[in-house]
Amino acid sequence: QGTEVAFGNGMQQDTSAPVEATADALSVNQKDGTALYTGNVVIVQGEMRLAAPRVLVVYSEEQGKIQRMEATGGVILVSGTEAAEAERADYDISNGTVVMTGNVLLTQGPSAVTSERMVVNLETGTANMSGRVKTVLQPADDQKASQ
Amino acid sequence: MRGDGLYSRVIAWLKVVLPLAALALLSTLFLFSSGRDPLENVPFADTLEGGGTILEGVAAPQYSGTTQSGDLLTMTAERARPLQGGDIAADALVAQLRMKDGSAIDLTATLGTLRNGERRIHLDQGVIITNSLGYRLETQALVSDIDRTAAESLAPVQGEGPLGTLEAGKMQILPADADGAVQMLFTGGVKLIYQPPAKDNDP
Repeated sequence: QGTEVAFGNGMQQDTSAPVEATADALSVNQKDGTALYTGNVVIVQGEMRLAAPRVLVVYSEEQGKIQRMEATGGVILVSGTEAAEAERADYDISNGTVVMTGNVLLTQGPSAVTSERMVVNLETGTANMSGRVKTVLQPADDQKASQ
Repeated sequence: MRGDGLYSRVIAWLKVVLPLAALALLSTLFLFSSGRDPLENVPFADTLEGGGTILEGVAAPQYSGTTQSGDLLTMTAERARPLQGGDIAADALVAQLRMKDGSAIDLTATLGTLRNGERRIHLDQGVIITNSLGYRLETQALVSDIDRTAAESLAPVQGEGPLGTLEAGKMQILPADADGAVQMLFTGGVKLIYQPPAKDNDP
């Protein structure tokens, strides 16, 4: 079971948009080609922006493209107006999913949802949260006051 | 004994005048030399005409050796020439590193200088770094060790790689660490743009 939540205000995320990665340092393993970004790594693709202290990029030689990116050490994923935080995030570029694990906190405007695990499907713009999902809703009048 | 006729007198005068005339003619011969410069079409080597003396040097030198970690390093160049202080300069140098694990790194530079006694070679005036992963990077200058697989760029690096177009403040090639893989470490701010293949040819 899991709650389905719209993420990145539900619009299509173009997963074939160029991915731009910036970091302080990058070390490439000469044998298998995996690349390890360290030092405030920021990965931007279209509307989605992922920031983490450490990102490992696993590259598949045969298909000649990046298989997945593993961001660890406290990850912040921002898409449009929503932001999601977690300890770790695995971003699979080809099928456009981000799996965030480790006390995930998703904030959408004033409301916030926490859970153990969240799978964001960038193409459909939905996020499926599972594992002790807890939602914090602010009563209506506070919302007006806080806006 | 000598007849005193006219003929004998003329001959006697001629015996004196003719040699003198010949002598005079010979001595003034060089005055009538033609304007043409005799050196014009003598096939001199063109370097001499340029005023430069032919430099002492070695054509197509080749160096090969293994590094401490067992990787094979071969260096070839168009020309190697000695500089003052025992340094050696090599033009159009190509250094090829073949690692034990089968991967390879090639460094191509317009000028490489081997400093006297230093076990390192300084590549500058544009260096191109390519490796078996498909990286092709360019930088202005790079220093590479000869006795171990280690190199360090002295200028920002930019280029292409399987991960996309890459720019970095500095690049280092580090010798094989514990798990025996040579590392390429980019530092000083790294920016990489990866273009995922278009959707249609996805498996």
